[in-house]
Amino acid sequence: MSNGVLLFCFNTETCEYYRIAERCVELIKKNLKLEITIVTNLETFKKLKPLGMLNYKLINNETGNKRGKEQWHNLDRCNAYDLSPYDTTILMDIDYFPFTNILLEYLNINDDFLIHDKIHDLTNKDVYNFRFNSIIPMLWATVIVFKKTSRAKRIFDMVKYIKQHYQHFCDLYRVDIRNFRNDYAFSIAVNQVNGHIQQKFLPGKLPTLPGIAKVLKINDTGVVFKYDDKINYVENQDVHILDKELTNV
Amino acid sequence: MDIGELKQKADLSYDISVAKKNALERAVSRQIFAYNGHLFRADAQTICLVKTLSEQKDSFFVLDTNNNPCEIKEPADFLNKLIERNQETLNAYHQINKEFAKRR
Repeated sequence: MSNGVLLFCFNTETCEYYRIAERCVELIKKNLKLEITIVTNLETFKKLKPLGMLNYKLINNETGNKRGKEQWHNLDRCNAYDLSPYDTTILMDIDYFPFTNILLEYLNINDDFLIHDKIHDLTNKDVYNFRFNSIIPMLWATVIVFKKTSRAKRIFDMVKYIKQHYQHFCDLYRVDIRNFRNDYAFSIAVNQVNGHIQQKFLPGKLPTLPGIAKVLKINDTGVVFKYDDKINYVENQDVHILDKELTNV
Repeated sequence: MDIGELKQKADLSYDISVAKKNALERAVSRQIFAYNGHLFRADAQTICLVKTLSEQKDSFFVLDTNNNPCEIKEPADFLNKLIERNQETLNAYHQINKEFAKRR
């Protein structure tokens, strides 16, 4: 049985995501010691520094989605099932920094598709309350652990279908954020595939530094961040960082 | 104590409170561990349940974090792992807590 981490990385005009991916890969190698596959395009691949033994899948990524006025290349994640070479895959955002090996626990379980349904805001500001933005409980597609089973494939196929008809599903579930978001696409897919009932989730909360927190420093063990003129840090704890300026830190 | 100093103390107190909350969250997330293909929390509730059941039976069923039943065939081994993980995480939290106490 093979295990590995699958990452998607595409530069945009405004963000050099490859820099974030490089940091993420270093932490995966140090703390998870798993095989890594990066799905990227040729343009981004050329910018990546040599990162040792990695697998690359070069694709022509789908474009067209936007976040604010910026490009947002997040439309290919639904292909993760087909692109993953592993029996058990940790599908991770490149801005999720594994400062611990806690994700390894999720490889030794029977469940074939697990995703976070809870989030922990590390600034304690509780900025992640999306309860009133849709009629479906929000899931967080930042980390997904899946096995190559027919059920997991159904979920990813459903995400592809939702992507094609995203505005319809936004109407159906009264999602008021109209640009394509994987969090909602997976929330809807999981709900549909499970016959509109709750399913199994990753235990624990997704530790997240929201966009209001500016990253000041990152080292091998943690992150120093600033928000509201306050400086704080997290150490030896996985962190999902939304501040894209971290490419310059 | 002037107002500037009071504000400084209040800020420090807030920072410590946030850091403490994050450290506790870290401890709680570290308590999750896989056993026999299931995920469990090495928290006080699970430890007490397993301890109580192991005193009555050689093997028994408990629910994992997603409410799937899991048969525990070696209660002593499972209990040891639960206690080990629980104390490891709480010890780490205790160390951080001591640092916070110094900063106050």
